[in-house]
Amino acid sequence: MHAKSTRREFLWHSAVATGGLLLPAQSSWAAPSETKMAITKWAGPAPQSPAEFAKIATQLTEQAVAALGGMSRFVKRGDVVWIKPNIGWDRTPELGANTNPDVVATLVRLCLDAGAKVVKVGDNPCDLAQKAYASSGIADAARKAGAQVIFLDRDRFREMDIKGERVKSIPVYPEIVESDVVINVPIAKHHVLATATLCMKNYMGVIENRRVFHQDIPTCLADITRFMRPTLCLLDCTRVMLAHGPKGGNIQDVAVRLTLAAGTDIVALDAFGAEMLGRKPTDIGSIVKGHQVGLGTMDYRSLQPKEITLS
Amino acid sequence: MKRRLPFRRWIRRVMQIVFLLAFIGLIFATRPVPGETPSWWLKAYFLADPLILLLTVLAAHAVPLLALFSLVTVVLTVILGRVFCGWICPLGTVHAMTGWALDKVQKPAKRRDTFSPWQKAKYYILGGALVMALLGGHWITIFDPLVLLYRTATTSILPAAQWGIETGANAVYQTDPRLGRFKLTSVTEPAYQYLRNHVFVLPKQAFLGTGLILAFFIAILAANAYRRRFWCRYLCPLGALLGLLAKRPMLRRAVASESCNECGLCTTACHGASASGFGSGWKPSECFVCLNCSTTCPRDACEFTFQPAIWRKEPAVQPVGLTRRGVLWAAVGGLAGFAFLRTTPQGRGSVYHPRLIRPPGSRPEPDFLARCTACGMCMKVCPTGGLQPAITEAGLEGLFTPHLVPIIGYCDYTCTACGHVCPTEAIRPLTEEEKHQIKIGLAAFDVTRCIPYVYGRNCVVCEEHCPIPEKAIYCVETEVELREGKKRLIKLPKVDPEKCIGCGVCEYVCPLDDAPGIRVITTNETRHERHQALLPEVESEEELPY
Repeated sequence: MHAKSTRREFLWHSAVATGGLLLPAQSSWAAPSETKMAITKWAGPAPQSPAEFAKIATQLTEQAVAALGGMSRFVKRGDVVWIKPNIGWDRTPELGANTNPDVVATLVRLCLDAGAKVVKVGDNPCDLAQKAYASSGIADAARKAGAQVIFLDRDRFREMDIKGERVKSIPVYPEIVESDVVINVPIAKHHVLATATLCMKNYMGVIENRRVFHQDIPTCLADITRFMRPTLCLLDCTRVMLAHGPKGGNIQDVAVRLTLAAGTDIVALDAFGAEMLGRKPTDIGSIVKGHQVGLGTMDYRSLQPKEITLS
Repeated sequence: MKRRLPFRRWIRRVMQIVFLLAFIGLIFATRPVPGETPSWWLKAYFLADPLILLLTVLAAHAVPLLALFSLVTVVLTVILGRVFCGWICPLGTVHAMTGWALDKVQKPAKRRDTFSPWQKAKYYILGGALVMALLGGHWITIFDPLVLLYRTATTSILPAAQWGIETGANAVYQTDPRLGRFKLTSVTEPAYQYLRNHVFVLPKQAFLGTGLILAFFIAILAANAYRRRFWCRYLCPLGALLGLLAKRPMLRRAVASESCNECGLCTTACHGASASGFGSGWKPSECFVCLNCSTTCPRDACEFTFQPAIWRKEPAVQPVGLTRRGVLWAAVGGLAGFAFLRTTPQGRGSVYHPRLIRPPGSRPEPDFLARCTACGMCMKVCPTGGLQPAITEAGLEGLFTPHLVPIIGYCDYTCTACGHVCPTEAIRPLTEEEKHQIKIGLAAFDVTRCIPYVYGRNCVVCEEHCPIPEKAIYCVETEVELREGKKRLIKLPKVDPEKCIGCGVCEYVCPLDDAPGIRVITTNETRHERHQALLPEVESEEELPY
C-alpha cells in the first residue's frame, strides 16, 4: 500500500500515539514503572524433580521482576550490583534455610542482561562460609550465571555511622554499600526470636557484631534497614521453613509454597511473608516497627500488588 | 687418578628437597574441602614411620592397618641403612640445611667429627620408650621427628606466615598505594584471595602453646651449632630404631686400605659422625648414607659397595655398642618415667578435666593416649580452628594432644575430617550419621553470666546456632522482674541433655565472648561409660515421683 499521510491524518495519528505513550504512565494497571509489588505463584502440577523445581523458581523470578517493570528499572548500564541472598547456613536447598539458588541465579542473569558491569553475590553466613556457600548451591548457581561469588573478609568490615535509634555505629561490609544497587533476596523462614526472618532481617548479613541485635531485634532491624535504603527486594517463598528456624534441618519443617514476591516496599514484602508463614504481620515486631517509623506499609494489599499465576 | 664427581651428593640433596617439599605440600593439602572426605595419602609420611607403628602396636595392642606401610621403610633400612634419615626425613633435611647455613656463618667446619659415645643416648631413650609402650604409654611419639616437624609447622610456622600475609595484604588494601598508574592491590589482592580461598584453612588461624612448640624446635635447631645434626645423632627415637635395623646393612662402606692415608677428610663432612677413626671404625647404625665421605676422599679410597649376604664380615662394620647395663638402666628409666606420667589423678582416671573435650570419635582417654602422637593433623584440618594442642588439660602425657576449645572454634556439625586424617585412629573415622550420635560434651548455662538470666533481655543467639534439627537448646517464655517492679516476658534458653552433643557452637557465638554465658564441659561424653552424669529421660506422661 502506498499512501501519503495528509496533514490531518498525521496530526491525528500523532495525538493518538502521544496519548498511548502517556497512558501507561498515568494509569496503574498499565504502568509497570510504578508497580510497587508483584506476587507470582505457581498453580501448575507440583514439581517432580529438582530440575522442574528449578524451572519453576526461575519463571517465578523472571515474571515477578517483569511485573515490576523489568530489571532495567533498577539496574542501569554499567552498574555494580550486589545480590544479597540468605546464605546463612550449611544446609541444602530442600531444607529451606537459604535462598533458592535458582532464584539467585536468575537475578544474576537479569542484572547482566540489564547491562550491569559486574554482579556480586555474597553474604556473611552464620555457619562456615565455605560450607554454607557450597551446600546452599548458591555459589555454583551464581557463578554459572556469571556472578562473582564473594567471601566477606572479616578484617575489612568498616565501622559505619548508621545513626539508628538503637544502633549508632556498626561494622558494615564496605563493598556492599559501595555497590550501585543492592538486591535483597531472602527466604521466608521461622525464627525463634524474631518469629520470622524475612527481608529486613536479611540485612543482618551485611554487618558484623550482629549478636547484640537479638536484644531488641525490631529496632535494630529498622535501624539497619533505614541505613541500607532498600530498592529492589525479592522474598523467596518457593520453600518456607515453618519451625526450628532459622537454621532448621528437618524436612518436615519445610513447606513448598512455590510463591515469590518482589517489590520496592520492604515492610509490605515482610508483611506478605508473615502471612506465607501463617502469621499476622502484627505478630512480628520488625514489621510493626518498620511500619511505624515509615520504612513502608504493613498493609501490603493497599499497594495493589500485581498477582500473577503461572502454570 | 680419576676424580669422582660430586654428583651423587647432589642426587641426595635433590631427593632431600623433593621429600621436604612433598611433606610441606601435604601439610598445605591437609585442609577441609566442603563435601569431601580427606584422603588417606595426606598422612603418607606418618604411615611410613615404623616408630609410630611399633609404639602403637605395643601400647594399644592394635595395628593401624595403613601404618603397615612403614614395613617398607623397615625393609629399605635393612638393605640400605639409614637412608631414611639421610635422604627422606624432612626434619633431617631441615637439620642438614641448618648445618649448611651455619657452615657459612661459623666457618670452622673443617673439624674432624668422629663418633661420640653420647650418640648412644638415643638408643637408651628408645629403650625407655619401648618399656613405656609395653605398659601402655605412647608418650615418646610426640618426639618422633615427623610428628615434631608437622606439629611445629602446622601450629606455629604456618600461622605466623599467615599472620604476615593477612596483615600485609590488609594494610595494602586499606592504604591502596599507587606507583604512577600501577595499583599495588592489582597484584596483592588476587594473590591474597588465592591464599585465603585455597591455602589457609580459616582466617586468623592461631594455636595455643605455639611458643612452647616453637621454642623446642628452635632449641633442637640451635643444637646444630654444637654438633651438626645433633638431634639426629644424639636424640631422635626414630633414628635409633632405624639404627638398630641398620646394624648390618647390605650397602656398606668399604675403605681400600692400600689407598687410604688416614687423612680424616672423610670425617669432616660426615653427617652422622658414623666413624670412630680416620678411614676406619664405620658404624652403619650411625651412618645416614649421605655419601659425603666417598665424595670427599681425594684418593678415592672410600666407596659404598653392596653385600647381599649380611652375615659376611667384609666390608667390616662396627657394632652399635650398647651395654647390658645401659639397656637395663634405660628400662628402669622408662618404668620410672611411666610411673611418673601415670601417678597423677588424671592418669589414674579418677578425675575428668571438664575442658578436655576430645574430637568426636576419640577413643576413651587411656586408649586415646596409647595412640595419639600429637602430630597435629586433626588440628590442621579442623575447619573452625577449634582443635587446639592441650598444654595442661591432659597432663604431661597428653601434651600437645588435640582438644576442642569452643571459644576459639566449635565442632562443625557436618564435618568428620579429623577422624579421617588421624594416622593412628586415636580419633576413629566416622560417617556423618555416626558422628551425630556421638556426644563430645554437654553445654551448660552459666546463669550468672547468660544475658537473659542476668539482665532480663532476649538473646538466644545460642539457640539460633544449635545445629541439632530438633534443637538441643530450647526456650521457655518467662516473665522476669526488672527494676522497680517492671515485668517483661523473655525467652529463657535451656539445654536438653538428651540432644546436646557438645559441639560448642553455642559457646562460640555467645555475645559474651570473654566468659561466655554457656560453656561446654566433658560431662556425658560418649567415649567414657563412667562419665555419664545424667540418666536418660523416660518417655512418660506421668510425673516422676521425685
